[in-house]
Amino acid sequence: MRSPRTRHWRREKSLPYLLLAPALVLLAGMVYPFGLGLYYSFTSYWLQYPNRFRFVWFDNYLSLIEEPLFVRALEFTLGFTLAAVVVQVGLGLAVALFLHGRIPGRSVIRALMLLPLMIPPVITALMWKIMMGSTNAGILNHMLSFLGVDPVNWFGSMQGAVVSVLIIDTWGNLPFVALILLGALQALPTEPYEAARVDGAGPAAILRYVTLPLLSPFIVLAVLFRTMDSLRIFDVIYATTAGGPNDATTNLQIMAYQYSFQWYQMGKGMAQAIVLLLLVVMVSYLLMRLWNRASESTS
Amino acid sequence: MTSQAVSYQRSVRNVAIAAAAVLLLVWTVFPFVWILLTSLKSPGDILSVPPKFVFTPTIDNYAALVIGEQRGQYSSTRPDFPRFFLNSMIISLGAVALSVAAGIPAAYALARFTFPLKGALAFLLMSFRFVPFIAFVIPLYILYQRVGLYDTHAGLILAYQLITLPFTIWMLRSFFMEVPLEIQEAAKIDGCSWFGVLGRVILPLSMPGISVTVILGFMFCWNAFNYPLMLAGRQTFPVTVGAIQFISYEQVLWGQMAAATIVAALPQLLLSLMVQKYIVRGLTMGAVR
Repeated sequence: MRSPRTRHWRREKSLPYLLLAPALVLLAGMVYPFGLGLYYSFTSYWLQYPNRFRFVWFDNYLSLIEEPLFVRALEFTLGFTLAAVVVQVGLGLAVALFLHGRIPGRSVIRALMLLPLMIPPVITALMWKIMMGSTNAGILNHMLSFLGVDPVNWFGSMQGAVVSVLIIDTWGNLPFVALILLGALQALPTEPYEAARVDGAGPAAILRYVTLPLLSPFIVLAVLFRTMDSLRIFDVIYATTAGGPNDATTNLQIMAYQYSFQWYQMGKGMAQAIVLLLLVVMVSYLLMRLWNRASESTS
Repeated sequence: MTSQAVSYQRSVRNVAIAAAAVLLLVWTVFPFVWILLTSLKSPGDILSVPPKFVFTPTIDNYAALVIGEQRGQYSSTRPDFPRFFLNSMIISLGAVALSVAAGIPAAYALARFTFPLKGALAFLLMSFRFVPFIAFVIPLYILYQRVGLYDTHAGLILAYQLITLPFTIWMLRSFFMEVPLEIQEAAKIDGCSWFGVLGRVILPLSMPGISVTVILGFMFCWNAFNYPLMLAGRQTFPVTVGAIQFISYEQVLWGQMAAATIVAALPQLLLSLMVQKYIVRGLTMGAVR
């Protein structure tokens, strides 16, 4: 977008700032507490023991390295994000390619796929909690029994809990990836396809050498959004496993929540929150660069 | 290959496609169907093994949501669901109204003016989409306790600006930028001030975009769970936090929880069908059209 010509408005140099002022005041009101929180992360702030409050420099951060739960939470955060992105983007791409073909009832499926996407994630979690249920009465185990699968202890076992959270998160967010990629597929230019067909390329070659390269900026975008959201997943875990069993589904956000709102160690909780924030900033920076490169190479 | 073999191959292919379509449909819709059925079951039917598809429906669970009792027995946990629903409405509408009021001029500035730090500011707003909420909610909790905003609608409306304000500005900016510059220039030549251009040209022409932004912003507020979990109390819980109140240490009230999830999801189901063309655009803050 080229910048507008603002001939006789140019004198009013302060105008854009005036227009932005209300929004900036509101945001400043929210960023100020964040600054306060950053300060607290360097203190021993413990809500129940206000007189123990003192400035401890990097103690909260350094103590994290020796904390076994932190290492496990970091591992789970990264591992879950990797798994969620691979599963959701992989399946999302498959669903998008599938719906791009001539499928009966495509518009109905497309409209219905919006519903899991737009209901509250915590409600999604509760719906699946009901379906996974107690081991015997859950409809999901009942359905799996027809396939010869033994009842799964969804939330009770460490592996089961991780898989359950992944399934629930995938149900809610698969449509996001699928709809982005379906929209992109339907907007692709037709010339490269005609050229490939003239050259005698089969469906597999067309997918590999035409569709995927053209789609790559959108795939990277889907990866970017899904990565950011998976690093910070909270609602689904809180409502189903609350981080358990045996901390198997405790990610950094759940851990920071436990430290600050169950044990009221605000200083430590805030330090964990800052570590998560830095992780998110680092990963988003890398993915943004990847996105710039992907969109430059196709345009 | 004979024509018979070709037609056989084609029908196998058609069956496979139909099966995949049905699978996708069931995966998407079945959870809603099952929760709706569960919400209409009596406690005995809910716990039956194997699960029942055919049963005598009852509206007890919905009645319990409204009046807090079930067949004369008061349940041990008694979430005040009508109040939670009203809270969700108040907070979501308030947050969106505030965001749109502050967001329209801000989006106009970002769409139609050039000024130093514009790019940095736009990027800063975008980055709010990716911030872990816990980094904001810990200090907000401490601060709200001190200044009396804890467990108030106003406090939640302010906190929700972290969700809606950056979103509103980015969405409105992308809609404002779609208004052709020529019309703006013509209005200027006719003597319109910046305010006239905004009020007489940009706003009327981007009305559909503003409606979409309002609806999506409302939906994101309705979905919010983590900010109210920490900053709201029993007086101001929205439906999302209200729905988990059916899980207590003694028991899970499955039927009432199912009814609550249906009620909490219902506005979203209706609204998302209204704005379906714009949902992807909204979720990516305008990055994907």
